[in-house]
Amino acid sequence: MNALPLLPDASSDIIVAVHKGRLITRAEFLGEALALAAQLPAHTPVLNLCADRYHFAIGLFACIARGTLSLLPNALTREIIAGLHRQHPALHCLSDQGDNPFDLPMIIVQAQGAQVPPCLEAPLIPAEQLVAQVFTSGSTGTPQAHAKRWGSLTINCIAEAQRLWEGAGGPCTVVGTVPFQHMYGLESTVLMPLLGGGVLCAQRPFYPGDIAETLAELLEPRMLVTTPVHLRTLLDAELPVPPLALVLSATAPLADALAERAERELGAPLHEIYGATETGQLASRRTCSREPWRTLGTIRLRQADGVTLASGGHIEVESPLNDIVELVDAHNFRLVGRNSDMINIGGKRSSLAFLNHILTSLPGVRDGVFCLPDPDSEKARLAAFVVAPQLATEDILQALRSHIDAVFLPRPIIFVDSLPRNSTGKITQDALQTLITTHLRNAQH
Amino acid sequence: MTQLESSAAPLDPALEREVAEMIVSALNLEVSPEAIASEAPLFGDEGLGLDSIDILEVALVISKRYGFQLKADSEDNFHIFSSLRSLAQHIATHRTK
Repeated sequence: MNALPLLPDASSDIIVAVHKGRLITRAEFLGEALALAAQLPAHTPVLNLCADRYHFAIGLFACIARGTLSLLPNALTREIIAGLHRQHPALHCLSDQGDNPFDLPMIIVQAQGAQVPPCLEAPLIPAEQLVAQVFTSGSTGTPQAHAKRWGSLTINCIAEAQRLWEGAGGPCTVVGTVPFQHMYGLESTVLMPLLGGGVLCAQRPFYPGDIAETLAELLEPRMLVTTPVHLRTLLDAELPVPPLALVLSATAPLADALAERAERELGAPLHEIYGATETGQLASRRTCSREPWRTLGTIRLRQADGVTLASGGHIEVESPLNDIVELVDAHNFRLVGRNSDMINIGGKRSSLAFLNHILTSLPGVRDGVFCLPDPDSEKARLAAFVVAPQLATEDILQALRSHIDAVFLPRPIIFVDSLPRNSTGKITQDALQTLITTHLRNAQH
Repeated sequence: MTQLESSAAPLDPALEREVAEMIVSALNLEVSPEAIASEAPLFGDEGLGLDSIDILEVALVISKRYGFQLKADSEDNFHIFSSLRSLAQHIATHRTK
């Protein structure tokens, strides 16, 4: 049976993480994860609610060592958690906060440091072991689970690390501003540093001042993992930022001008990662080079019947890409168009079809449609056109909040008498564009 | 590095109004600054309903206008955004201009 170690082979005293100013060795991290693993239930999935990235990582690796499945929901709304609980009646949660918002059996995760025996040897984990289910919102209202197996995740994150260390000049300490319960943050701020020979940083700095301060506390070389919106506010704050070896951006299109400004002002190469929750990370590019995207590791692309299919590398079953691409060859491509259904705001991903489904299911809403009026702006926010004569903006926002993450709340909501649906009941892109032009262009910046 | 809410700063209705106008203009909100109540939450499920991306935008304007950087120990730590009043008090305590 093919098996891969929980952490890559290395000396026991190499630093794998930094937590609240403490440097954590490989032996200590393994010790923490295995001590927690012994407390975990074996046959029931676990919801990892840890807010600190180091605690989250201990929890995740403890689950992997124990053979326990980690559930990573797309949003922590009551409705979604209740759905998971129904599906898994014995569901437990891991928390480092002490509160228990969902009334689930809870296991507290705390860094114990010297109180747990260090572990010198990483256990071997079967490559086919299912380690996580990462959820996307799906298009019908039911979150869709994407199974992640140990072998595939490991191969993918090692390939990512190899590519990015090459761009950075060597392994880095990785600081992320993005949520690590979502695919991008999970891969690039948790798994890549731990599995690829870098250093995980527990902090998730938020304000520009926090980012600069967190970076300054770390040893070089440093990598910042972020999104276009976080990157722009960091640059706009005009703070002194310590030297960086590389800046990584993903989740939304990055304008060339912002990429050039970031490289100029931060003095570091800016790379983008291309991937999806379904497929994992597929390719990267240095934005300013204007070169095509290059696939990671041995991933290959081919086109058939208008669909682009990825295989090789970590991909177990040849899988379609969400986007429209132009192949240069099997390893290089240009992105022609993003799939218009998937949207990503501040590192959180959803589907317009799902959001529309939620909106039109609200009591009092006769019809409604979400749209993204400025998809190429890093300030992009959703708007919604709604037919709901009895409701006010606040009623709709209030009702939406229990179903969707706040970053997807529409701003503005425009009330209309009816929506321009065609004979098949669809609102075409042209019709939607006309609505946007009529109602939004004057009001928007 | 949590910054505890300061009780030292006196209430300053004029600053509260100035901050309300700043928020509305920074975020292109469709409410009038006068409609933002002093005690109503700015962030989260009630009140103005700002989210984390809004908070980043507002923080940027605050840093330019009042000359200090906001700090949080986690993305969930938005206590100073619990109301217009607490934000205005935080600004009054930390402003350098």
